[in-house]
Amino acid sequence: METEKLVELLSEDVPHVKTPVHQIVASFIVRDFKVWWTYKFWLTLDISGILLFVATYYLFSLIASPQQIQEAGYVTGGYFTFALIGIAFQQYVFFAVQSINMSVRDEQWNGTMETVLSSATDFKTFLLGETTFFFIICSAFLFISFLAGWLLGATFCLNLASVLSAIVLSVLLIASHMAIGVLSAGVIMKTKQGNPLTWAFSWMTQLVSGVFYPLKILPWYLEWVGKIFPLTYSLDGIRLCLQGGQTLVSTAVLSDAVNLVLFTAIATPVALYVFKMGYDAARRDGSLGQY
Amino acid sequence: MKVEELVSLFKEEPPRLASEITHVWAVFWANFKIFLSYRTWVITETMSTIASIAMYFFMGLQVDPRRFVAAGYGDVDWLAFALVGVATANYLWMCISRISHSLQHEIREGTLEPVICSMIKMRSYIVGQSIRGFLVSGYFMLGTLLIGIFVLRVPLIITVETMSLFLLVLLMMILSYLGIGIMAAGIILVYKKGDPLTFLLASITEFLGGVLFPLRYLQDYPVLWGLAWLMPYTYALDAARRILLTGVTSALPIVMNDLMVLAVFTAVFIPAGLWVFRWGCDRIRKEGTVASY
Amino acid sequence: MDYAVETFQLSKMFETKEKGRKRVVKAVDHVNIKIGKGEFFGLLGPNGAGKTTLIKMLCTIILPDEGTAKINGYDIIKEPYKVRRSFGWFHGETGGRSLYWRLSAEDNLRFYAYLQNVPKDVAKRRIDALLEFFGLTEDRGKLVKEYSTGMKVRVMLARALLHNPPILFMDEPTIGLDTISAVETRKLLTALNAELGKTIIFTSHNMFEVEQLCQRVAIMRKGRIIVDAPPSQLREMLREIRSVEVEVREASDLQKVAEQLVAIPVVGKVLEIKNNAYGHVIRLQVDNEYEAIPEIAEKVQRLRVKVSAIRQSEPTFEDIFVKLASEEE
Repeated sequence: METEKLVELLSEDVPHVKTPVHQIVASFIVRDFKVWWTYKFWLTLDISGILLFVATYYLFSLIASPQQIQEAGYVTGGYFTFALIGIAFQQYVFFAVQSINMSVRDEQWNGTMETVLSSATDFKTFLLGETTFFFIICSAFLFISFLAGWLLGATFCLNLASVLSAIVLSVLLIASHMAIGVLSAGVIMKTKQGNPLTWAFSWMTQLVSGVFYPLKILPWYLEWVGKIFPLTYSLDGIRLCLQGGQTLVSTAVLSDAVNLVLFTAIATPVALYVFKMGYDAARRDGSLGQY
Repeated sequence: MKVEELVSLFKEEPPRLASEITHVWAVFWANFKIFLSYRTWVITETMSTIASIAMYFFMGLQVDPRRFVAAGYGDVDWLAFALVGVATANYLWMCISRISHSLQHEIREGTLEPVICSMIKMRSYIVGQSIRGFLVSGYFMLGTLLIGIFVLRVPLIITVETMSLFLLVLLMMILSYLGIGIMAAGIILVYKKGDPLTFLLASITEFLGGVLFPLRYLQDYPVLWGLAWLMPYTYALDAARRILLTGVTSALPIVMNDLMVLAVFTAVFIPAGLWVFRWGCDRIRKEGTVASY
Repeated sequence: MDYAVETFQLSKMFETKEKGRKRVVKAVDHVNIKIGKGEFFGLLGPNGAGKTTLIKMLCTIILPDEGTAKINGYDIIKEPYKVRRSFGWFHGETGGRSLYWRLSAEDNLRFYAYLQNVPKDVAKRRIDALLEFFGLTEDRGKLVKEYSTGMKVRVMLARALLHNPPILFMDEPTIGLDTISAVETRKLLTALNAELGKTIIFTSHNMFEVEQLCQRVAIMRKGRIIVDAPPSQLREMLREIRSVEVEVREASDLQKVAEQLVAIPVVGKVLEIKNNAYGHVIRLQVDNEYEAIPEIAEKVQRLRVKVSAIRQSEPTFEDIFVKLASEEE
């Protein structure tokens, strides 16, 4: 192309309109999906990992007694259904802290973060775009785990009100963990490491949120620590719905939901603030693009 | 320092000692030092090991002892059963993955080329790397068992006899998998990746070996049951549990049988692994891609 | 006669994929060189000429497709371990990547001393001396990852010398060094060659560096050795390739200007026309730059061409290749 033609093209007056947020987020999702699809091998690996995990706990459920979980109000389905819900939903924690960190690190490493953040997109949209994709993938994995569980004979209370309540709780679970993901992304931006720390966080959640056992089993101090993590409330609420047949109308489920809303309402501004701090600090010392 | 002084130092030509043990030691020593520089990793890994032990402890509280009798180790505690499984499975996985992990690192950093054109034989290099891996993962295994015994009061039978037999089983387990680890390393040399493969192998091994549940429940699925007994780890875990849960006297005949099977696996896999590794070395020298990643 | 390095039809081909189509590149193409013991041998060539592949084959890191070579009398294919005893290798292009960044300089050197079978007490003395020589004594305990590129390069140089090998492959040894360290390094290599009789194979793409140091120079192009001569001959050749570059700030027809300039009797042909930051550059072959420059100046004035500089220019590899081709004809 001749210089003149290019100049002519660029001199065309385009009215300045802000791209709507959902379009930007959608373009992030498309981009992430394309990148992710190139790792087909890892995909098969992730899925087989989940299937093996579900199978392991199916076999463990054969020796576990359902007594404690029934006492906790999760009546239907026995230990296997209980553990299945735990396994399926705890992936959100893993994704929130691991995958978001990983993608932020990758972007820093490849230098693409500098480009994205220097475009017209503001950082909140950037974060929304970065995180949404992972939660979509995660929900797909959730579906796969439930399918595998159903094939192995897990049973649920499937009345409409309970299922809808469980979906509301899942949305709250995702919202609260997005905040956690943003928080850790902000930290990693400044420290350039922290991967081991996020591992430790995942383990702590697994230990005290009642993924594999009802919270009552824990000694009081660990039970108390468990109350900090949003996964605890989410799992309790979802199990009360899907295993106990309760709905958002019941006090126990409602208090779980209220706790999650509170957590999200407090954690989101804090997370955004920390991310902004990390982002500004990285810009100040010029380390945005380096790892 | 002047050029002349330095040159004069090189005038004396000392006798050379050629010893593969020195080479193995050097590889071990350098890599161990590198490992120690990852202090945060060691600390957080230790923490997550402790957290996982605690998790298994609480899981154990839900086990119905009557149903668990099906494990076939007599009247034993599930936590003891699971801890032996978790400790050995983690040990194995770490040992094997460390070899390919550090090799991948050396390829990427370009440090493999100077090693290859030094006087070390590749087998000494691989042995040095492996010993480092065994030691590092041994720390985590020992930690798991010690916490189990002293903090959680898990009833493991600890005598001189059981310990020495247990160590023998561990050694045989590692040897039977060493070939696979070396094979994976050879594949990584050529294709520059392969870690996912070892990862998949590890999770399948863990599942089929029956780390958390009695293997007998797999009997209802003939394919899985058959596959399980095609893996060395299944034999090793069975032997380790018999020794630590029921004591040497009653375990000995079955353990001897398990050890024999492990010896057969070793005899097949190690030559195969070395062959693949040698093939990998030759292949990358032919392709000229030692340092590319 | 005993040779330090002797190659026999040594060849290496690489397959590359370009847009799905396979392409075979001859990186090293039937090379036959003989380098005597104690020689200081320079290997010149532009990037991608095959110098590094050739050196890596001699170092036993890459296996040849065809032919073989002998290092210190040992075959590189059949006796790799004996070959490895005979050389030290330095690869400047990696820019310090090939060290363990999480070990100190001292630990790196000690590691290789073990691998190269240097006895402990001797290793200690040599490491101390080498670190002092390369000005690293103060930072010897620091992890390599905290070093600058120049410091890493010096550690790598020390590593190549550690086991006192009779042959040194120095692949672009001065590439990441500052001027002072580069001068010191050249001095060291000269002394090692002169006093200890070490054979040195020195690659570079800097013609003047090689001409100054080496007793014999070979030039590689597209995998082949096209010149193998003493540096005096190279010097002669460089002197014959004389050129002047004219930096044109503005001209309506560059080609026409070039044609006009070639019409001057003391000017030969146009070597190349390229762009630079200030405008265009016309490189002209001349017989004598001192006669040509005033004539060119006069001419451009008459042509009313805006010229920002007229100066003598350094010959490039391309000039040498063109000259060689014309001589063959």
